[in-house]
Amino acid sequence: MTDTVRLQSEDFSVDRELTALRASSMRMGGIATFIGCARDFSEGREVTEISFDAYGSMALAEMNKLRDEAIAKFGLLDARIVHRVGVVSAGEQIVFIAAGAEHRAPALQACHWLIDELKQRVPIWKKEITPHGDAWVTPHP
Amino acid sequence: MIRVLFFGPVAERVSSRETEIEFQTGFCLQDAIAQLTARYPQAFELVSFIAVNNVQTRDMKLALKDNDEIALMAKFSGG
Repeated sequence: MTDTVRLQSEDFSVDRELTALRASSMRMGGIATFIGCARDFSEGREVTEISFDAYGSMALAEMNKLRDEAIAKFGLLDARIVHRVGVVSAGEQIVFIAAGAEHRAPALQACHWLIDELKQRVPIWKKEITPHGDAWVTPHP
Repeated sequence: MIRVLFFGPVAERVSSRETEIEFQTGFCLQDAIAQLTARYPQAFELVSFIAVNNVQTRDMKLALKDNDEIALMAKFSGG
C-alpha cells in the first residue's frame, strides 16, 4: 500500500490511487478527483516540458497537513495527494487529488479546496521549458 | 552553523542551492537575513516566504539555534 501523500518523480496510476482510496472505507458514497496535467502551450508559447523543484521535507509536511485539515473540515473518510517533481513532459500528469466522503457535496468541495490550498501553501516551483528558452512560472489563481 | 537553502527561481538567481552562515549566540532570524541580504541581494528580489526548520515564519525576532535550517523561497507555483 502506497502512502496517502507523496512527492515522486515517476508518473502515478489513477486507477491504483482510486483503488487504494476505496479500500479505506466501504461507507464512501462520493469520490471527487482532480488531475493536473502539463499543457503543451502557455502564455502564447509552445511548452515541451515542465521542470518541478520542491522543498521536499516542507512540501510533504504541508501536504500531510492539508490532507488532515481537509478530512477534519469536510468530514472526509479519506483523501490522497500525489505531486510529481523533476521533469514532466507536455501531456503528462502532474498532480492527483482525491477526496472520498459519504456524499458527493463534501467530496467535491474538499477536492476543490485541496488543489487551491496546495497551490498557495506547498513549496513547489515550476519552470516551463520551451524551444525558445526556459521560464519560471509566475503563480496565478 | 546555520544551513540556508535555495529553491527554484531563487536557487537559479544565486546559482546555488545551499550555503551556510556562522551561528552566533543570541542570533535571531533578522540577523541571519541581514547577512544573507548582503551576500545575495539578488535573491531578495524574489523571496516571498522564509521558513525555519520546515515552518514558514514572518517572525524576524525568532531566535535561531545552532544547526537550524533556513529556506528562502519565491512564490509557490506547484499544481
